Amino acid sequence: MDVTMTVNGRELTASVPPETTLLKLLREDWDLTGAKLGCDVGDCGACTVLVDGTAVNACLMLAGQADGRQITTIEGLADLDAFHPLQKTFEDLAALQCGFCGPGIILAAKYLLDNNPNPTTAEIRDGLAGNLCRCTGYTKIIEAVADTAKELAAQSAA
Amino acid sequence: MKPFEFIKAASTEEAVAALAEHGPGIRILAGGTDLLVDLKHAGQSPGVVMDVSGIDDLGAISVDDDGLHIGAGATHTAIMTDPLIAEHAPAMIDAAHTVGAVQTRNLGTIGGNLVTCVPSMDSGPVLVALEADVILAGASGIRRLALTEFFVGPRKTILAAGEMLVDIVIPKANLGKPAGFIKFGLRKGQALALVNAASAAWIEDGKFAAPRIALGAVAPVVIRCEAAEAALDGQPVSDAVIAEAAKIAAGEAKPIDDFRASKSYRLDLIEVGVRRTLAAAAGLKGE
Repeated sequence: MDVTMTVNGRELTASVPPETTLLKLLREDWDLTGAKLGCDVGDCGACTVLVDGTAVNACLMLAGQADGRQITTIEGLADLDAFHPLQKTFEDLAALQCGFCGPGIILAAKYLLDNNPNPTTAEIRDGLAGNLCRCTGYTKIIEAVADTAKELAAQSAA
Repeated sequence: MKPFEFIKAASTEEAVAALAEHGPGIRILAGGTDLLVDLKHAGQSPGVVMDVSGIDDLGAISVDDDGLHIGAGATHTAIMTDPLIAEHAPAMIDAAHTVGAVQTRNLGTIGGNLVTCVPSMDSGPVLVALEADVILAGASGIRRLALTEFFVGPRKTILAAGEMLVDIVIPKANLGKPAGFIKFGLRKGQALALVNAASAAWIEDGKFAAPRIALGAVAPVVIRCEAAEAALDGQPVSDAVIAEAAKIAAGEAKPIDDFRASKSYRLDLIEVGVRRTLAAAAGLKGE
């Protein structure tokens, strides 16, 4: 089947079998390998992307369901010259270690902050409950999201 | 996943017609959070997968003379943020919030949760405590039945070939009925329930009236604890009365031992869950 969607602001098309997931489409047809294949059943969150601004597991969505929609992957957040504030804070705090979970965590955090710019620690934990990290123990990740919220608030006040 | 044909239904009528046309080889895709996992592990192709997530009115939430209608396609996130749910059945928000995690709540639907019909489903107990009905659509028309009749066994519902769940109705008489929900899992996020408990009751002159207690993950399907309800009905609200009802409720459940928890631990959780949800329904501070 043919699918067309706007990925990180660019319109892309592909012809794929109907059983193709959005994750496979992104990674294998369009070489957007930021979203990771982890558990492949919606438990680990490594494949998190934004579809029409909403965080979803790309492993649990068919390419056909994403047809016509707006997709944001980690590649769309920033380039090497200008990090997204979340990426900058994660780097400053060394909030990631191996980094495999990072794209999913940062997109889940973006979805959280887009909908709740001033989250409590409990709300940050809830917002990241669908993202597993086996390296860090989460402490610095949660600090990085909280710091980004403060940073964004300061930016918008300035 | 094995190859399949993918179609999209634009309306419930179109979906029902496609069900009739394709027969038992068709699977309905709503949120996909259960279906795609099933298909990834399935040995054979489902034939046809029909996406119903684009049917707008299938996800509608509304109130009329009948009661509160929750379209089967409403996502858990939509339920958590809908003002009508907050006004008329806020315990549903607590239940929806315990489903999976953010990403799965954004995709997964209440109808899918009920149709998958695992004993640990998080959407069932509050709806059973509020005596919800379900509306099924098929080629021969619409039928309406109690949610408790819809559940037949683990992963088995009363849905006949060619039928789909379209609507869930909390009857008007139960809108605003005080209710509580609690889920016990091994973690807060991405956990299957060890025990789910929901209670609803009116409080009249300091007494329980029409109390309803529902439990999940403790029997093949979500159950009502009718003996506990009968013992509670008309009794004055007190910790002792609540504790007695909770004991009776535990006697009505049939939890199992498995790798997540022992039967005896689950029986303890049932008592705690029933006590806490009854206390919440009665407006007590609770434990």
